[in-house]
Formats: sequence, structure tokens, C-alpha cells
Amino acid sequence: MKILVVDDFSTMRRIVKNLLRDLGFTNTHEADDGSTALPMLQTGNFDFLITDWNMPGMQGIDLLKAVRADEKLKSIPVLMVTAESKREQIIEAAQAGVNGYIVKPFTAATLSEKLDKIFERIDG
Amino acid sequence: MKLSDKDQLEQTISQTRELLEHLENDEIEDAQELIDSLARGGDEDLFVEIGKLTRRLHEALTTFHLDSRITSIAASEIPDAKDRLNYVIERTEEAANKTMDKVEHCNQLADVIAKDSQDLLGEFQKLYRRELSPGDFRQLCKRIESHLEKNKNSADDLHSQLSEVLLAQDYQDLTGQVIRQVITLVHDVEESMVNVIKMFGNIDRYQAAKGESTKAEGAEGPIVNKDKRDDVVSGQDEVDDLLSSLGF
Repeated sequence: MKILVVDDFSTMRRIVKNLLRDLGFTNTHEADDGSTALPMLQTGNFDFLITDWNMPGMQGIDLLKAVRADEKLKSIPVLMVTAESKREQIIEAAQAGVNGYIVKPFTAATLSEKLDKIFERIDG
Repeated sequence: MKLSDKDQLEQTISQTRELLEHLENDEIEDAQELIDSLARGGDEDLFVEIGKLTRRLHEALTTFHLDSRITSIAASEIPDAKDRLNYVIERTEEAANKTMDKVEHCNQLADVIAKDSQDLLGEFQKLYRRELSPGDFRQLCKRIESHLEKNKNSADDLHSQLSEVLLAQDYQDLTGQVIRQVITLVHDVEESMVNVIKMFGNIDRYQAAKGESTKAEGAEGPIVNKDKRDDVVSGQDEVDDLLSSLGF
């Protein structure tokens, strides 16, 4: 399982990568905003995308929309991990086709639970 | 009530006539009284003028003070505050990375201890099932000895790594002080702006605007006053509820 972690803060990327490793996902890669992430996704054969919302350059919500609009990428599961907590934003992300939404600050248990839920739905 | 210039002139003429009459009639005491009252009248005007001057001087001084405060805020304190806040970002990032370095190192140590222990437990099961030859048993004893030796070193290493994690938390004190200074500056800026509004602007509009809540569009980052907002979720549970209500 090849996972791309997108966040403008390197510390947050590192936290997510560490948590993912504890959950058994070791093939993780990083990008610091949507515009760096998109070309990586297009050429990198990623299986999963975890992205922040609020980033300079291309924001997470626009990355999600770009992924869903791309014929090759549109079925890739996307988990949003973000401090954005307005109801209208969560609804916007849901309408744009997000597979899971985690608000920061979050716990390892929450990340594990949301990943399980997404995989369950994909496999089932 | 203020007398008009014409009234003032008429009053002065009548008072002068009165004074002349008193003097011509040798009424010295009455004349003196009249002069005193005229003089007092003059004092009052003088006091009013001095009062006006004092107020103008005070306003001029306040404006001057305001100007120098704003100048210093714009010229040095705001750029300084930006440096201070960048310092906070650097220190917190440094502390986070340092802590994660140590934690990753500790995790590796813990993983090795867990794996070695697991292997040895397997060997022990063989021992209980009497599946070990005397040679295997000697090997097992050696492995246990080296495992204990390694564990002791790992425990020492863990202890020193964790002490460094503890020390890395000193950023909280340092950044806390810096942030407090910036909060004071923000407060001063607010005060100066209110002064400017009081002197040159519309204080009523300011008071009205104070009551309004500003609604930010788009990404806002962490919401610090969640209890005062009704458009945000309070935590993951509310996110999950909202998403499930949408059919997720």
C-alpha cells in the first residue's frame, strides 16, 4: 500500500508517517501542498491519499476535487486530516467525495479507526 | 449664558455710568464694590480662557504621545513582533523534531527488545516441551545472558533519550514569554487605534462594530473560540455524526 501524506508542516507529516508505520504502512511519501502532490499522484501509482486542508499554494479541498476530476486518479481513497472544523467545510469535503475526515488534534486510535472504516468499505 | 458683544458693550457702558454716578456722589464704598465685581467678572473670563488653553494643550500632548506611540509601533515593534513569532515557529518546530527523533529512537529500542524477548520465549517453550538438546540449551543460556546484557544497555539508553525528551519541552516557557510580549503589543495597538478613532473617527460606529461577529470565509485553521461559535464542530464525534447524517 503506497500512501501520500500531504501537509505543509513537516512535523505533522512526520507524526502521520510514524502513526502509519505503527499501523503497518511503511511505504509512505510526502508532499507539502496540493500542487506538489498532484503530479506525484499522477505518476506515482499511489493507493491512498492523506491530506491537510489549509496549505499555501493548492489547498487540500482543491487537491481532492482535482483528484476526483482526474480519470486516472478519481477512485483513490482520500482521508482529510485537518484543523478545519466548520460544518460547511465538512459538508463541502463530503460533497467533493472525501472518504474520511479527521479533525486535528487527533489520536492514533482515530486514525486507525478511520483507515479501517475506509478499507472496509472499499473491500466490502 | 454668554453675552453677545453688543450686550457686553451696553453692560459695560451702564456699569461705567453707574461707577461715575457713585464717584460723583462720593459713594466710595459702592464704587469700590462695583470695581471689585467688574474685576471678578474679568477673572471668570480669564479662567475660561485658561481652561480652553489647558484643554488644547492637553489634546496637543495626547496627539503627540499618540503619534510617537504609533510611530514606534509601526517602525520597530511590529517588525520585532514578526521576528518574535518566527522565533516561536522555529523553537516549536525544533522541539517537535527533537522529540520525534528521540521517540523514534526509543521505539526502535523497544521493537528490538520485544522481538528478542519473543524469540527467547519461543525457545523457552521448546525447553518446557523438552525439545532442546544439551547443545541447544547451552546456546539458549548464552542468548539469555546476552539478551539481559542488551536490555540493561537499552534501558539506560531509553532513560537518557526520555530525559532529553523532557528537556526538549523547555520551548514552552521560552515561547510562552515571547507570545505574552506580542499579546501586550497587540493590546497597545488596539488601544492606539481606539484613540485614533476617538479623535478622528466615529466612536459610535466602533462601538456598534464591537458587537458584530466577523465571519471568516474558507480555511481558517484551528478555531480557538469554539464555545463562542455555532458554525463549527467541537470534535471528532461531531464530525462523525455530521458525516453519518449525510449518509456516510
